[in-house]
Amino acid sequence: MDVAVQIKDAFPKRWCHLKKVLERTGPFCHPDFEPSTDVTNHFIMTTCKILVIGAGGLGCELLKNLALMGFKDIHVIDMDTIDLSNLNRQFLFRRKDIGQSKAEVAAKFINQRIPGCNVTPHYNKIQDFDECFYRQFHIVVCGLDSIVARRWINGMLISLLTYDDDGDLEQSSIIPMVDGGTEGFKGNVRVILPGISACIECTLDLFPPQVTYPLCTIASTPRLPEHCIEYVKVIQWPKENPYEAAIDGDDPVHINWIYEKASERANQFNISGVNFRLVQGVVKNIIPAVASTNAAIAAACTTEVFKIATSCSVPLSNYMVFNDVDGLYTYTYEAEKKDDCLACGQTAKVLEIKSTEIKLQQLIDQLTESYQMKNPGVTTSINGKNRTLYLPTVSSIEEQTRENLKKNLGDLGLENGSEINVADVTSPNTLVFVLKVASESMQVE
Amino acid sequence: MIKLFSLKQQKKDGEATPKVGNQKKASAAQLRITKDINELNLPKTCNTEFPDPDDLLSFKLIICPDEGFYRGGRFVFSFKVGPNYPHEPPKVKCETPVYHPNIDLDGNVCLNILREDWKPVLTINSIVYGLQYLFLEPNPEDPLNKEAAEVLQNNRRVFEMNVLKAMRGGCVGSTFFERCLK
Amino acid sequence: MASPAPKSPEQSDKSKKYDRQLSFFLDADNIGKSRAQVATQLLLELNPDVKGDFVDESPKQILETNPDFFIGHTLVIATAISERVLVPLSTRLWDAGIPLIVARSYGFIGSIRIQVEEHTVVESHPDDQHPDLRLDAPFPALKQFADSFDMSQLELKDHARIPYVVPLYQALQTWMQQHDGAFPKSSKDKNELRDLIKKGNKNPDSEEQNFTEAIRAVNFAIRKTVVPTDVQDILNDNKCINLTSKSKPFWITAKAVKDFVDNEGKGLLPLRGSLPDMTSDTNNYVKLQQIYHKQSSKDAEIVFRRAQQLLYSLSQPRDNISEAYVKNFCKHESSIAIQRGSCITSEYDQKTANASEIALSLEQPDSMMVYYVMLRAIDRFFDEYNAYPGEFDDQLEVDIIKMKSCISKLLSEWSCGPLSKDDYVHEICRYGGAELHSVSAFIGGCAAQEAIKIITKQYKPINNTLIYDAISSNTATFAF
Repeated sequence: MDVAVQIKDAFPKRWCHLKKVLERTGPFCHPDFEPSTDVTNHFIMTTCKILVIGAGGLGCELLKNLALMGFKDIHVIDMDTIDLSNLNRQFLFRRKDIGQSKAEVAAKFINQRIPGCNVTPHYNKIQDFDECFYRQFHIVVCGLDSIVARRWINGMLISLLTYDDDGDLEQSSIIPMVDGGTEGFKGNVRVILPGISACIECTLDLFPPQVTYPLCTIASTPRLPEHCIEYVKVIQWPKENPYEAAIDGDDPVHINWIYEKASERANQFNISGVNFRLVQGVVKNIIPAVASTNAAIAAACTTEVFKIATSCSVPLSNYMVFNDVDGLYTYTYEAEKKDDCLACGQTAKVLEIKSTEIKLQQLIDQLTESYQMKNPGVTTSINGKNRTLYLPTVSSIEEQTRENLKKNLGDLGLENGSEINVADVTSPNTLVFVLKVASESMQVE
Repeated sequence: MIKLFSLKQQKKDGEATPKVGNQKKASAAQLRITKDINELNLPKTCNTEFPDPDDLLSFKLIICPDEGFYRGGRFVFSFKVGPNYPHEPPKVKCETPVYHPNIDLDGNVCLNILREDWKPVLTINSIVYGLQYLFLEPNPEDPLNKEAAEVLQNNRRVFEMNVLKAMRGGCVGSTFFERCLK
Repeated sequence: MASPAPKSPEQSDKSKKYDRQLSFFLDADNIGKSRAQVATQLLLELNPDVKGDFVDESPKQILETNPDFFIGHTLVIATAISERVLVPLSTRLWDAGIPLIVARSYGFIGSIRIQVEEHTVVESHPDDQHPDLRLDAPFPALKQFADSFDMSQLELKDHARIPYVVPLYQALQTWMQQHDGAFPKSSKDKNELRDLIKKGNKNPDSEEQNFTEAIRAVNFAIRKTVVPTDVQDILNDNKCINLTSKSKPFWITAKAVKDFVDNEGKGLLPLRGSLPDMTSDTNNYVKLQQIYHKQSSKDAEIVFRRAQQLLYSLSQPRDNISEAYVKNFCKHESSIAIQRGSCITSEYDQKTANASEIALSLEQPDSMMVYYVMLRAIDRFFDEYNAYPGEFDDQLEVDIIKMKSCISKLLSEWSCGPLSKDDYVHEICRYGGAELHSVSAFIGGCAAQEAIKIITKQYKPINNTLIYDAISSNTATFAF
């Protein structure tokens, strides 16, 4: 008997549970749902490509859950390596794996355990990849602890949206994003349909502000152990720069140095309560992760991915909060899309120009005439790098960019389809325009 | 209800090898800072310098107070705006050594809106005004430089002389200050 | 169940070899081996500090041949268990005083039922709690400290650095003197008090930070210190008043606290002893912190001695209650909690079932009680037909009718009116006993957390039934 076949059939009944919900229709299905006759031919097993961002506490659970829900083509990105303190909840890792890439070890583990599942690891930052990479996925799931990373991927998925000639969103360009977050016994799950429902940027104020203490308190009148730790972090470290590097919250040597200095300071002020764990918490700005919260949130995220990919039930609309401090409480509601959201609130307006031979000054004149702008500042992004074309209100920039006014757009790196960002007092936000040369048909990627 | 991947189409294989992410669109932080910078409405005592006009995320603010203790001085602040702007405030440091109760000798600045009272609705302009105010009304109740705060509290004359001494380039106590008069 | 890590995976069923489950920890090499054995092995791999054992028998067998087996376990978790086994198991554990968690995953629906006769929590970690400052009943050290400042004589820089407790206390004393010793109650009183505090502000330009805090604190710190009602209920509970030689440390300590309240405490609980952060110089803050801390140690010491006397009079060993336990108890006493549960057997008995809760909830249009009814009907269906509704494709239509009849029978036993929720019946029959991994993983994660709450006696567990609907991502809690 062929070995490959043997492995494939090792679990003849592995998917019999999925058969029920994928081969039968029900009253709560998405209107698109079409029962399939053979589950192994189903979209999730053949075509569907999932990207998991983060292979930490949530990521490990997500990978395991997705694999067991039948997804076979999964990619995972994580820039971190495995640390001893991860082992209590990031269950795909063992002691022998310490120091290795989280993404790689996690992928190997899943691929071994679940024959037929193919997890591709990327030991990278999310910023290492471009649009081309992200466009290949059907759904993105995030298990992140960073707001910056969430905002970045949110912006990336929104930039992948395309619009037809009538300005209507092309639904095939939407890559749904399922985002999970946990903090101690609290967590949340949300489903984002970029361009359609509330995005990360629309609801930025849902993220709690960082806990900070007044600088003068930590410098002159510390009262709490946290004040002593912050003092070392904010003032003493940059001054003494003991390891000639920025603080790395995951480096025990760094944490230990901060711990020792903070203890000294606490003793000096008769303050008790500085301990290693607290130091780590304050430096990394984290609330300790709880394995069971991660399990519940990652599971709820996976259910949403499964529902979106199969249409076998309607997805969450669109935000669930979870808290199991007192009993178990969840609340589900629809976060609202913000019309003036900086990320998804505006679709690029088309600005028709005669040709890329016109001067920047002419373009600005056109903006002031057609949009009654007063003093527009114009920037763009060329090969991922920000470029200030002209900014009249700040004299040092104005002087350095004045020359650009006489240049034609082509020489400034702009072409048909380029986007420009225009800031002006007449509008509460920076507006985005896409240039369209009148004679040519627009070629937007 | 929307029809997501109604074709359940095979997606194009992407580049699996890392390529530096070049998003075609400017990030939300970038759009916001562009707006902030374009709408800077500086008091006449303040000026900005952008070493690289393409990089709106790092720049300098120069304050030359025309009244108060610090009249005639020239103070340079560096601004670094992070990718989490405006969820997090920019990092601001004073690059000119200054004898001031709310600014320490390493350039740390004690201004509430730079830390605990920062809100995303605030702008770069709000910070500029906050910093300018620090030179008009140094606040001995929130000291970073305790000695300076105590002198200000106990004897405003002595404080005024110390400030002048420091700005002219000289020692206050055992600390030497470089000249920063215009 | 796929994801939850049972404390001791004894619920295995020998006849049910690994053939239908999609558990992650089991891989291809293990087909045909005992599920309990393989699961135990792999769970131990997760954490070398865990000891585990397995019994390759069904719970039914164990109940029949070795009913004492469960004694000695701290907690039992049962998953995917039929009504026929669940009922005797729950009775056995109820009688033995061992908590039981029943977890279930069925299609897009999940449930957790916690059976615990009495669960006491010392550290419930409530989200919001007012500080215990005792400004209405200052103890001597607090009084002495607060009276030691002559605020009007202080220099501005010191004045702005006195912890707000002091100006607040002093203003309160002045107000009470002006009102024949009365304590401010009405909002008019409190506004007068705020004005008094404002007058003490020294900085002509702006309000000093500590004064701002003092004015804000009028809202929560100017109130009569009382024993919260929930705590009163515990202190007056029969178990607290009538201790026996079998009483648990919680109740003995509660009685010691009650005696403290009735004697030394003059009607008040022992001082909690923690001081919130406030604007202050380091020295005075640390001093004040120590004053509160010392007093609370004194109070706890008295409670500890009383607890020791009680242990002696009950002929219990002295080390049943440690000083650290009493200290912790006193620190959290204003949020101690008790939950009393019910036996699953009585829930399944139509004579003792909580029919009114079911009936009332079903009257609500969107109540998730409908899923409870469905799950119970599935039990009934399985009991009668030895299969899940919709398990076999060719029986689907017939099963829907049978399932409807199971529901009607249950409803009539609970004296509830008919249920017009055909959609739900169709959806449940669609599942045909399918277990979706992500639903199991959700329930598993939550159930594990409940187990930890019960074992550590921290945080309040679910009281007592949780229903999870993964279609809408909602949960609801019901008490049976």
